[in-house]
Amino acid sequence: MIQLLPHIFNGLTLGLLFALIALGFTLIVGVMEVINLAHGSLFALGAYFALTLIGVDPIADTAVGRWWLDQAIEIRYLTALVFAPLLAGLVGMILEICLRPTYGKAPLYGLLLTFGAALVIEEAIRVVWGSGEQYLQIPPAINGATIFLGTIFSKYKFFAAAFSALAVIGVWLFLEKTKYGAIIKAGAHDSEMVRALGYDLTKLRLFVFGFGAALAGLAGIIMVPIWGLRPHVGIDVVIPAFLIIALGGVGSFEGAIVASLLVGLAVGITGAYASAWSMMSMYILLILVLGFRARGLFGKASALEN
Amino acid sequence: MITLSDISPQSRNRVNPQLLTAAVLIFSAPVWLPAIGLYQYIGLEIAIWIIYAMGFNLLFGYTGLHSFGHGAYLGVGAYAFGLFQHNIAVNLLGGLLAAVAAAAIAGFLVALFLSHRRGLYYALLTIAFGQVFWFSAIKLRWLTGGEDGLLNIPRPPIELPGLSIDLNDNVTLYYLVAVILLAALFLLWRLDHSPFGRVLQAIRQNEMRTRFAGYDVWRFKVSAFTISAMFAGLAGGLFAMAQQSAYPDVMAVHQSGLIVMMVLVGGGLVNFWGPVYGVIIYYIARDFLGGITETWLLWYGLMFVIMVMYRPEGVAGMLHMVKGRFVKPSKLKQLGV
Repeated sequence: MIQLLPHIFNGLTLGLLFALIALGFTLIVGVMEVINLAHGSLFALGAYFALTLIGVDPIADTAVGRWWLDQAIEIRYLTALVFAPLLAGLVGMILEICLRPTYGKAPLYGLLLTFGAALVIEEAIRVVWGSGEQYLQIPPAINGATIFLGTIFSKYKFFAAAFSALAVIGVWLFLEKTKYGAIIKAGAHDSEMVRALGYDLTKLRLFVFGFGAALAGLAGIIMVPIWGLRPHVGIDVVIPAFLIIALGGVGSFEGAIVASLLVGLAVGITGAYASAWSMMSMYILLILVLGFRARGLFGKASALEN
Repeated sequence: MITLSDISPQSRNRVNPQLLTAAVLIFSAPVWLPAIGLYQYIGLEIAIWIIYAMGFNLLFGYTGLHSFGHGAYLGVGAYAFGLFQHNIAVNLLGGLLAAVAAAAIAGFLVALFLSHRRGLYYALLTIAFGQVFWFSAIKLRWLTGGEDGLLNIPRPPIELPGLSIDLNDNVTLYYLVAVILLAALFLLWRLDHSPFGRVLQAIRQNEMRTRFAGYDVWRFKVSAFTISAMFAGLAGGLFAMAQQSAYPDVMAVHQSGLIVMMVLVGGGLVNFWGPVYGVIIYYIARDFLGGITETWLLWYGLMFVIMVMYRPEGVAGMLHMVKGRFVKPSKLKQLGV
């Protein structure tokens, strides 16, 4: 049991990170009933934007670029942490505008459109940033190793897990305690009624999609120092996010969080016994759960089932 | 938007003019392929992928079950073919039968799990199962050769009484694939327009009503999935022969997505022949655009996105509408439009 503790801890950390990834995804699925397969690409895009904001690659040799590179890494990192997700959010909004012709049709078309968009974004990343593995700079304060429970952990994992937990709580408070959160949740529940009450559904959808995309970008910046940054990192990310939503139940915020932790634990504990198969465990978990509970752990009826 | 049921299958004729045209085009391909600036191997690849896409469309277009992990069964077929040649016997028929059988078993077992589900959860589970197969193909190194895959798969000759045809030449292999492709097209044509195919289409339109009409929907869904997995396995066996290897890449979710794109672009949702157009467009785009720019997939993806936005019925749907504009109204009524 004692030997297992680091693995359980590792799994929970991973679970929190998965929760951060799934956050934007579940928001978009819940409100718009669109499976955003481009979520992973927006994740990658956020990280690449951060890469450029920190390293100012194209203009590094100009006066402005040199001035920026002279600033402390902490300042550059924080700037990237704020602005890169906003840029990813903008791309998300463009995607939402493209999605409009598919509203009211079978959910398949939204799925297909975002799949195409994922392909386009990934190829665009290759054109702009190249195909190679990139390295995102992080401040030294959250870099390096620390000893915990007698095992060496990277400090960054602690930072990432804490950041994810804060982001999850922040989004939860936003959804539960603010007026805008109430409108979004109402939109997920009954969009016709929200329209009848005088709220602009078009704007609401644009905002929610942008917000979800920004969360994806944020997750990208936090995750890539652990997972590495490649153009196809998006596909490695969207599949777990997808599974977590199905496991937790479409449209359930709590379900997504619980499912993330479960998946993290499953991967972490499998890693203790058969590390090569650790990523496989989440698929098995999904197949087992969906084999018995058609709508996942906390799922409600949804138009996506038809 | 038009759907598959809106276009009459015209199956009253004994001699199907479309199948006949397809046969002529398929068998003359090695003659005219070099003339239009292409090479023989692409004909082979296109023919194999058409078998795969047509079988896939039985599930995707006709039954309306959206599988996003179908590459797994192509991969299973390819591995089965390779393993048969390596471990049992170098035999063409045995290898292909093994490929089809392996894919059928895999597809059937997965279908048992899937077929109670609908819509999104169905798609999700197909992805999860696809990933399980893909992951196993990479990790079961002793069986599959890991990421490199199975190499040096021979192309066994066709053994007829008193005759043995060597298949190491791409054109000869193409003719074998062409015969199998035609048989597959004929079979699928009959299947799609049979009472069985009608029930599948009814399931697409309204699963619950089909159940209320007394059909055991679950069995039809299992059968559709298994049959389409069998075609994927057949294509996989032929692909292993064409490539002389089998590797996990074809099972990745990316590749499974590409087949969905091909079927949709071609118009598999509205026409029997849709997947054929889709596969041809994909390979032509890959070769022509790929010759001009390294980022051809970007342009193909953009074309796909625009198509989903404005013309989700694909090339076949557009052809149908163009035809509708030039055909006399009396003929249209006869066609049932």
